[in-house]
Amino acid sequence: MASVELRNVWKIYKGDVEAVKDVSWKCEDREFFSILGPSGCGKSSSLRMIAGLEEITEGQILFNDKVVNDLRPKERNIAMVFENWALYPNLNVYENIAFPLRARKMSKEVIDEKVKTAAKFLDLEPILKKNARHLSGGEMQRVSIGRAIVREPDVLIMDEPISHLDASLRARMREELKTQVSRLGVTTLYITHDQVESMAMADRIAVMNLGEIQQIGTPLNIYHHPSNEFVAGFIGEPPANFVDCAVIKDDGKFRVTCSAFQFILDDVWTKRFTAAPQQKVRLGVRPEDISISFTESSNCCGLEVDFVEIQGDRTIITLKVGDQLFLSEILGDVRPEIGQTIYVKFNQEHIHFFSQEDGKNIFFDAEMES
Amino acid sequence: MINKNIFSKIIGWVIAIIFLTIILLPIIYVAATSLKIPLEIRTSGSLFPQGGITFENWVKAFRNVPLTKYLFNSTVVAISSTIITLLIAVPTIYTVVRFKTGGAVLPSLILGTYVMPPIVVTVPIFAIIKTLGLQDTLVGLILVHSMMNIPLAFWLLDSYIRNIPVELEHAAWVDGYSKFDTLLKIVYPLIKPGVLSTGVVCLIMSWNEFLFALILTYSDASKTFPIGISQYIGEHGMQFGEMSAAALAGIIPIYIVVFIFSKNLVEGLGRSGVKG
Repeated sequence: MASVELRNVWKIYKGDVEAVKDVSWKCEDREFFSILGPSGCGKSSSLRMIAGLEEITEGQILFNDKVVNDLRPKERNIAMVFENWALYPNLNVYENIAFPLRARKMSKEVIDEKVKTAAKFLDLEPILKKNARHLSGGEMQRVSIGRAIVREPDVLIMDEPISHLDASLRARMREELKTQVSRLGVTTLYITHDQVESMAMADRIAVMNLGEIQQIGTPLNIYHHPSNEFVAGFIGEPPANFVDCAVIKDDGKFRVTCSAFQFILDDVWTKRFTAAPQQKVRLGVRPEDISISFTESSNCCGLEVDFVEIQGDRTIITLKVGDQLFLSEILGDVRPEIGQTIYVKFNQEHIHFFSQEDGKNIFFDAEMES
Repeated sequence: MINKNIFSKIIGWVIAIIFLTIILLPIIYVAATSLKIPLEIRTSGSLFPQGGITFENWVKAFRNVPLTKYLFNSTVVAISSTIITLLIAVPTIYTVVRFKTGGAVLPSLILGTYVMPPIVVTVPIFAIIKTLGLQDTLVGLILVHSMMNIPLAFWLLDSYIRNIPVELEHAAWVDGYSKFDTLLKIVYPLIKPGVLSTGVVCLIMSWNEFLFALILTYSDASKTFPIGISQYIGEHGMQFGEMSAAALAGIIPIYIVVFIFSKNLVEGLGRSGVKG
């Protein structure tokens, strides 16, 4: 078992492509740590450097507080589950799982015992003699996990391990993976572009974009207190809404106005804006933090309905906000007419204000304190 | 619909027969000539023997020229040089493709030697082999043939290695194998069809090679089969019948090899994808 730490790690490819920029984080022993980000965000480069498959341009990678920069992959005692599973097509399931053990020159009996234990654990016993070419997606995935865990690695690295499975299997696999990994109690680095996977499985998430760490925190922390506009937009489905607003002090109260609506901020926000006055902000609000009503009441905004998407348990209503569209998610079956004006209120506990210049959450520290 | 199918089938057959005729006609001609009476060969231009069949040419071919010895030499040279070529080419192309060994220079240099006409290097090669004291030996010819075939093997193997998902190799590294073990245990089994078909092509190239054999061998101890064939052209004119018999004797072994590996060869040269 081991902790994994990155200290100011850079990866610069030929032609000055900066894939990873000054990334630092620490994944504690036995933690399920997820690196989340869109494709090209540097998450794969990070993990390949951790695995030793790629050189580190600058910075340090530490396992258990020991620098491993110069160790070869086989000296790091890591195991990896690849996106395409990378099973050896020339070997059967048994030999695939036994492969890392054979590298360690273990005796036949020990190998047999370990492979059988892993196979039992992953329910692979009936297909041990099957060739790796002839497995279904789910089976391949389990075999690749078997191969990874059979030698009790210090760190288990999973690179998009279930993104190739179909949707229903993926949902089941999320649960299964999480259960298996927590039973093993191994330090796990889980790389994915799917925020649902990260949210569902990870103890902590590091959100990456354009080679930089955007935010590190627990799933709920990141969800409720995004550090910047990117994180707020990337986490959550449907994505959060953003609109440029002005904040105007008016009679001791703060009023948020944009071209399409205005509303008055509550006491918590008033306190925050008094402490750090801002005039131009970017309002961020999640679809589920918008409530609607067909009748006007105080401090609500009338918006025109652009589209209604019925999903059974909930309804997604698209609203016109100037030339932008806002998504709102309403529980239950609501059927406003398209073109009708409905009255919305934002749940002020969960709205955020981002800087118009750099997208940072202006009141991030204040949010975290409360 | 059925008519259309039959029609296209017929077209297919016609094309196939035309091709087969073009390819096989010279061989049929050689086979027929080897069975003709020597006098007939000079006088008649007909494809098939008119004046009866004789094995005289075959007997004379083996008696006048030590053909058995030459065929043996050819076999030794072809097999040995192919093995050396593969032993060098497989790891070389692997590191060039995967680890960019030699950057852009090495691959183009290797392919460049393949494009160059061999006659250009006959003098330096002769000088090198002579310096090594290997002229007129099988070892000398084996070395030259294996070097000659490396660019070809390189070129043929390239796509096989490129088609292996690189994750397989990464998985093997992470699983605790060195780069060389990975080549041996994971990459080689996957490119084996390609290695076999490349081997067959190298075997054919070496078996048929004339130029280097001509300048590097001059005694019966090291002459190969193509040189042997040329010996039927002598002071007393050309012995067409014997030459045909000898040619056929030389074609047959290589045809058998190709036939044995034909499944591999077709599979290998046609498709070189290894799906992970």
